[in-house]
Amino acid sequence: MDRSALIDGLHPLEIKTLTAFGPGGGVLPTEQLAAATGLEPSQLSMAVEWLLAKQLLLVASETVTPLVSLTPLGETYFEGYAPVEYILSAARDASSTGKRLTIPDLHAKEGLDPSDVSKAVGRLKKEGALLIVQGGCLESTGRPSPSAEAMRALLRELHEGPREVGGFPEASRQLIQEHAVRRGSTKEPFRVEDRVARSYRLSPDGVAVAGQLAAQPTLEEVSQLSPELLKDGSWRTKRFRKYTISLRAPRIGTGKKHPYREFLDAVKAKLVSMGFQEMRGSLVETEFWNMDALFMPQFHPARDIHDVYFVKQPTHAARVAEPFLSRVTAAHENGGTTGSTGWGYTFNRERAKRLVLRSQGTAVSSRTLAANPSVPGKYFSIARCFRYDQVDATHATDFFQVEGIVLGEDINFRTLLGLLNLFAREVAQAKEVKFVPAYFPFTEPSVELHVRHPRLGWMELGGAGLFRSEVTLPLGVTAPVIAWGLGLDRMAMVALGIHDIRELFTDNLELIRTTRGLF
Amino acid sequence: MPTISIFKSDLESLLDADRKHRAISIEDLENWLMLVKGELKGHNPDTGELRVELQDSNRPDLWCCEGIARQIRIKRKGKLKPYPFLARKAKTPLRLIVAPGLEHVRPYVAACAARGYRVTEEGLAQLIQTQEKLADIFGHKRKTVSIGIYQLQKIRFPVTYELVKPDDARFTPLGMETVMTLSEILMVHPKGLEHGHILAGQNRLPILRDARNQPLSFPPIINSREIGEVRVGDDELFVEVTGTDLSMVVLTLNIFAANLADRGATIEPVEVQYPKSTAIGKRVVTPQDLGKPRTIKIDTIERALGQELSEKTVKQALETYGYDVSVGKGTVKAKLPPYRQDLLHAMDVVEDVAMSCGYGSFSPEMPAQFTVGSLSRIEQASDRARELMVGLGFQEIISNILGSPEQYRDAMRLAETEWGNMVEVDNVMSLSFSCLRQWMLPSLLRVEAASNRAFYPHRLFEAGDVAIPDAAHDLGSRTETVLGAVIAHAAAHFSEIHSCLDVLLYHVGKEYSLEPVQHPSFLEGRAGRILVAGKAVGVIGEVHPEVLERWQIAVPVVAFDVNLSQLTDLS
Repeated sequence: MDRSALIDGLHPLEIKTLTAFGPGGGVLPTEQLAAATGLEPSQLSMAVEWLLAKQLLLVASETVTPLVSLTPLGETYFEGYAPVEYILSAARDASSTGKRLTIPDLHAKEGLDPSDVSKAVGRLKKEGALLIVQGGCLESTGRPSPSAEAMRALLRELHEGPREVGGFPEASRQLIQEHAVRRGSTKEPFRVEDRVARSYRLSPDGVAVAGQLAAQPTLEEVSQLSPELLKDGSWRTKRFRKYTISLRAPRIGTGKKHPYREFLDAVKAKLVSMGFQEMRGSLVETEFWNMDALFMPQFHPARDIHDVYFVKQPTHAARVAEPFLSRVTAAHENGGTTGSTGWGYTFNRERAKRLVLRSQGTAVSSRTLAANPSVPGKYFSIARCFRYDQVDATHATDFFQVEGIVLGEDINFRTLLGLLNLFAREVAQAKEVKFVPAYFPFTEPSVELHVRHPRLGWMELGGAGLFRSEVTLPLGVTAPVIAWGLGLDRMAMVALGIHDIRELFTDNLELIRTTRGLF
Repeated sequence: MPTISIFKSDLESLLDADRKHRAISIEDLENWLMLVKGELKGHNPDTGELRVELQDSNRPDLWCCEGIARQIRIKRKGKLKPYPFLARKAKTPLRLIVAPGLEHVRPYVAACAARGYRVTEEGLAQLIQTQEKLADIFGHKRKTVSIGIYQLQKIRFPVTYELVKPDDARFTPLGMETVMTLSEILMVHPKGLEHGHILAGQNRLPILRDARNQPLSFPPIINSREIGEVRVGDDELFVEVTGTDLSMVVLTLNIFAANLADRGATIEPVEVQYPKSTAIGKRVVTPQDLGKPRTIKIDTIERALGQELSEKTVKQALETYGYDVSVGKGTVKAKLPPYRQDLLHAMDVVEDVAMSCGYGSFSPEMPAQFTVGSLSRIEQASDRARELMVGLGFQEIISNILGSPEQYRDAMRLAETEWGNMVEVDNVMSLSFSCLRQWMLPSLLRVEAASNRAFYPHRLFEAGDVAIPDAAHDLGSRTETVLGAVIAHAAAHFSEIHSCLDVLLYHVGKEYSLEPVQHPSFLEGRAGRILVAGKAVGVIGEVHPEVLERWQIAVPVVAFDVNLSQLTDLS
């Protein structure tokens, strides 16, 4: 690595540590290094680890010294008494008062650990400080116990602070070993740990770097610009450590729109820019506005119980507004005044009131037609619709339909084709189109719009037609009207890179967060 | 509408009766199919099988190979050759007598005989398919129209169409080995079980029998196996159609007669004698052309198509589409061919002119009138709220509106409460899609429940429609736009979501206050009703741990739900 890049990347702690060695280098034990740098032990150990890893620092020597210290249990022994002390004093009390003291008594009292008790009793007996007489009773001999005394001396000394194990006489060292925390025996008063004492020296590279650092103007390095530095202008005397900016950025949670909604928003904006006014409708509709007003005969196969969701309660609307109900009835039965022969059946007005979940967006348009729309006028809706379909990768039971109407005295078959051309260009960025005859119950002539999408190739973009007079006249509209609908889900799915229509409404947050819309 | 299966070679020979076979390319075929609103759905080059979807539900004549071929053939030849069996004064020795009483069961029947066409394998397949599609879709699962085809030489005329008691007639039905009474057929035969409901409540049932009292069939259920089974090689057929709508019955027979004639059969009409006069008389000879000519102004066609057209052009366009046309001054008098009955309005003729000319022959023209585009007030409010939520660091989601009572009510602890009322579906297919959401929180919890592996915190929102039951509303419910938001992470807290609501409502320009509410979905004492101008427009709170347990959500969730429609109306 380039040395100046290496120097630029040094942390302030590292610089402090390197420069502590002074111009001559030399060997510094940890304590001296700490004193020279003035760093906290944790900071120093970080800096040392980093410098060792960069091979700027080397370990000159290493000594390992076992240290003994009190555990929290040891501290409570110091405050009170160790088991051996307790047993000895209990035995002495018993002997002086003539009471009987048995080993189970010791267990019950103070809750001493049975193994501690038997160890201590054994040692006291061996030292001749204790006798076990008939009936398992303990009796004090009155003689002193060296081990109890040694224990007290250790507790007292270690309470002052850790000591090197090697500084104790052999008997104490044995006691320490016996009562030190180790695997399988954690409730002990002493802990023995190795203290590693190291001394360090600079590597040849380290010497060079340290020399270079000493030669440089000694700007203090900081990791972060702070309000204080800005306030007093002291940032001018600081050096800002360089970051490794090639690392991956940490992930953060974002606020953003749903990619499918973003797609629909784009379509919405496009339609508004083309002069379309938005319509809204109800999720629950009557069969009248959903189908009858669209001249779908009540015996039409798509009105079957297997195609539309019916509402359970209430089953029927309170009313269907007049004069629309009567005029639509006439249109179905005999054409009324629409110039049609009608379907020639008896229209069921009760059925017209049956409530359904809106099955087509055109229901929104039929309401608009009856609400005195502007002529000329352009309208659209992005309406949630429901179909009685088995849900699979290509069928949703709950989906958006983009549809609308165009009213105007200049509306005819050719302007219908012109409008579809516009949709092809503006919505699908398609230059090539094909108009294919189609069938919809409410339009005549009807046409399907096929376009060559820049990425998808030939696809059906939508359907349209001129509303039949049986639709418009009963609703009070005398101008010709285009009805149009766009099938955008396939385009949306390609733009979002998904293959299953159910994923448009996915519950997978990770997927929603990471899906990019390329529209 | 129906998707049918036809064979390319069969279509080619019907297109070109002189057998000067010219293979038709798939590309050409697709273009020709535009003439019949057909779409090629599949093609098996090995067998020559084509799957074609026919869109027009008012053109049952096109739901078969013969019909498709006919429409294309007329276009190629320039005119439909009239069918001789439709000549006005057809004399026929074949009689079918209708007994009294059927007017309340299944009143109408039409029939004809076809001789001289030897049934081929492809022809038989078409005959059966046409019979099925017409009875099923055009005939509403046989309710309005059903069709039977028989071996003519086994029938002695006159045939009688009459009613019998269910146990007084018996025959061996198709698909069975033994003789059965009509009531046994209804109870046992698959077709009886499938279609028997059409005759529910009738104590006497329809039957067709010949002069020797031999049963032909039990309409609309099943044919006799003796007479009513047509096989490859048969060359004398008898076709009958029964039903509840006279013109549909006659039309269906006309289609069969035309189809068989196109395959080379000579059609012999049958005289049907009714006990009382029908709309077209007491003695009805079938097939019969029921179409009437209709006079249409050229101007009507021109205005609708946006193009000037001469009488001659219109005449030619309609004739090459099968119409019978005569020209008047500024008008044409047009009559549909006998196999069609779909002329309700002048516009139906307009479309046929356009299709016959080809949609490609009309140059598109931009609608020129100026209009101003705009979003609805509620959509503007919703878009604004969505922008603010995004700015507050929330991820938008979209959900189904249709869900289950378990999600929307029970898991929310709302059963038997005012908040638990929903619009429910009557004809439930799957419980998972059986009611409309009445608020937004369950939609958000649905995502939260599925996303415990996505890194936290989770901040989610959705703006969308809900349906709120309302007995005072004409439709029994109101559709309103609601904004819901949740925050979920280990330390999610009321004040965190409260701050978000506060910013949102500040920028929407609404003064609000919170009032404690006992809402079962939220922890008591940590839930509030959002009041704007004294009106409740939503709720906010810490989601009740029992709700989280029901959804198997393992972190605290805080949420609000604001009705944007109501909020927008308050100004």
